[in-house]
Amino acid sequence: MTEFRTIDVSGLPSYDVSSQSPLWWGQLMITFIEGTMFGILIAAYFYTRLRMDVWPPPGDQYPHLLLPSLALVPLILSCAGSYWASESAKKNSRLGMIAGLLLNLVLAVIALAMRIVEWHSLNFNWKADIQGSYVWAFLGLHTFDYIADLVFTAVLLVLVLIGRYGPKQRLGVHVDSVVWYFLVLIWIPIYVTIYWAPVFAGSQQ
Amino acid sequence: MTATQDFTPQIPNQAEEVEQLHRSWRHPRGVLGWLSYTTHQAIGTRYIITAFIMLLTGGAEALLMRTQLARPNNGFLSPDRYNEIFTTHGTTMMFLFAVPMMEGMAIYLVPLMCGTRNVAFPRLNAFGYWMFLFGVLFLYWGVFTNAAPDVGWFAYPPLSGPQFTPGKRTDYWAQMITFTEVSALCVATEIIATIFKMRAPGMSLNRMPLYVWSLLIQSFMVIFAMPAVVIASSYLLSDRTVATQFVNPAEGGDPILYQHVFWFFGHPEVYIIFIPALGFVSAIVVAHARREIFGYTAMVLAQIANGFIAFGLWVHHMFATGLPQIGEAYFTASSMMIAITSGVQIFCWLATLWTGRPRLTTALHFIYGFLVIFVVGGLTGVVLASVPLDWQVHDTYFVVAHFHYVLIGGALFPLFGAFYHWFPKITGRMMDEKIGRLNFWVLFIGFNLTFFPMHIQGLMGMPRRVYTYPAEMGWGPLNFIETIGAYIIGIGGILFIANVVSSHRSGRIAGNNPWDADSLEWATASPPENYNFEYLPVATSRYPLWVDRSERAFVTGLRNDRREALVTTLMDAEPHHRYVFPASSIWPFITAIAVTIGFAGSVFNPWYIVWGSVLSGLALVGWFWPRGDSEAES
Repeated sequence: MTEFRTIDVSGLPSYDVSSQSPLWWGQLMITFIEGTMFGILIAAYFYTRLRMDVWPPPGDQYPHLLLPSLALVPLILSCAGSYWASESAKKNSRLGMIAGLLLNLVLAVIALAMRIVEWHSLNFNWKADIQGSYVWAFLGLHTFDYIADLVFTAVLLVLVLIGRYGPKQRLGVHVDSVVWYFLVLIWIPIYVTIYWAPVFAGSQQ
Repeated sequence: MTATQDFTPQIPNQAEEVEQLHRSWRHPRGVLGWLSYTTHQAIGTRYIITAFIMLLTGGAEALLMRTQLARPNNGFLSPDRYNEIFTTHGTTMMFLFAVPMMEGMAIYLVPLMCGTRNVAFPRLNAFGYWMFLFGVLFLYWGVFTNAAPDVGWFAYPPLSGPQFTPGKRTDYWAQMITFTEVSALCVATEIIATIFKMRAPGMSLNRMPLYVWSLLIQSFMVIFAMPAVVIASSYLLSDRTVATQFVNPAEGGDPILYQHVFWFFGHPEVYIIFIPALGFVSAIVVAHARREIFGYTAMVLAQIANGFIAFGLWVHHMFATGLPQIGEAYFTASSMMIAITSGVQIFCWLATLWTGRPRLTTALHFIYGFLVIFVVGGLTGVVLASVPLDWQVHDTYFVVAHFHYVLIGGALFPLFGAFYHWFPKITGRMMDEKIGRLNFWVLFIGFNLTFFPMHIQGLMGMPRRVYTYPAEMGWGPLNFIETIGAYIIGIGGILFIANVVSSHRSGRIAGNNPWDADSLEWATASPPENYNFEYLPVATSRYPLWVDRSERAFVTGLRNDRREALVTTLMDAEPHHRYVFPASSIWPFITAIAVTIGFAGSVFNPWYIVWGSVLSGLALVGWFWPRGDSEAES
């Protein structure tokens, strides 16, 4: 019988709530996928604009700037809640997770409500013309992801509140923050495209 | 280098620990159990078998087309039917065979080669397979209800738009894309996480097998390319179902933009198919030439460069659309650049074979076949990169010849080599070498007989995608030869299947490492148990099975009463923490059904997106809901 060398790993922890976890990397890849998708759409928006003489197309009003700009405030602040929850998940502080997730959810819902109110002031839909198609594609896709992540965050909050959580759920809280930072971050170029591009790159007659 | 048969350590309590492993990795029973499998061997095999059936289907469609084209003015297929068949042939081969087949092989091999027990996200893996399967069923449901797509595998608007192709044909096509891209993205994500974080201790990046490198690069390409086809197919689908204006020129939409977005995916797609095939070539060349690869670093860098350049040459598919000259010049140069990175790899393989001690096995036959065919296809690629030549032969059979040379030569021949190489690992039995060699020669001759004359025929001016041609064009004899060649390929396929069936039943028992190969998948039983390794191996070299026995090492101390593996650091693969895989689960299947209700229904009524989302959301909550004590804080 040959003696083999062995590495004994029984002393290593059986989980790790950090970027060392495979789940964190999986989540990062998903943000790459969505980031690429939104990046291509933004490029396509400007490609389309270059081919048109009049922008926004006749009949489309310039989108209002005030409400969507104000909505950035709760949106960006909600990252603080997400960060709080994520750091608390690393330290296994239940109270911190509850407070952070709650703050994240409340601010995100406020920002979402402002966004939905703003929709009613747009005087074109996706059928109207090419700008309408792009604006509603941005709004639709981003809001879909946004709501999906809110639901996921709410489920995590419920799990922490009723105490049915362990390392996997804490890791969930941690990677949930990765998704949330991404959704907030990617909204900024989308916001600039939807609301400011008609102003600084437009030419209405 | 020493004999490597016995690569299992002897450790006290071994029998007891292995018994525990058996129990915790056992598959659940019954039909519901079968739908709940999450081991990478099971899912990988399902991908491989499903994709192989798609290869046969796409091949049968090709034979129908070749039969129609065998002589001028043939009436075997109607023009409409011909359009449907060339569309489903291209769609099937690209989306339902080639990519899923490469993914299936990766799902099976990457965890073994990395020395771990499963892919990083086993349930996501199962979900990806079900999405792929439902995509197959969705498209072929259309085909068998006389609603096959008929606008080409790329579905260019305005032809494919709501105005010129009413009905559901194109919607089936576009939504099938959604199914397969979800599946491909699931696989890419889990393969990257597996390669980055679950490699055997000691397998630093510069010790990773070239096949694993190829999958890492391919997965990143999937991540950056697939979103483009998400957008292209969504343009089409939303224009057709909810009246957006993305590709409608009357309202400012742009059909050319569709082509840009489609080919920003479509060109990398070709490399997504053939980069894993280059990985097969490297693995087979090393094992069968019985020496280390020549120029490992150059090979890795060339593959990475290949991956990057692939994103910078999509416009060469659009030279005939009228582009600014600067664009033409740029994309000609970048297209020719691919010859450099491909050339580096070819010379490295040749040098390895030249200085090695090659065994002329069937697998190596297929690699030699690959080298010949792929170089020919590469040369016509350089020709096509030049705009004036491209214009001359655009949409002729010259292009058909070119891409079949690079795709069949570049992907299918290495794939068959891979089947012969890894069949012993997957089934535990050797394939018959005599039939194997016959199999190779029949395929090689049939292939060249079918596709080589197409170069000439294209230069003679025969356009692609026409269902027939008049006799006075003089294209008849070449077409007839090609049809004969196509049937010879068909015979090659039958030989392969016969060999698989008979070898699976009564082939020679393979043992752990019949080729005396170098990488970790050969360090365990054939076929591997669900847990792959009794004790996870340590990679003490780039060729871990070729080091002296005294150099080998293993991991102990993982818990065997649940599905555990080891997470290691990204660069140096140092042990970091233990990782608990989820148990078998029915939820990926249920979630895939919910998503399918949304995807399939939305072709008929956009509101299904909402219902499908609600159902999928509920299914995901079920998926992630914690159950059992194993989830609790320990």
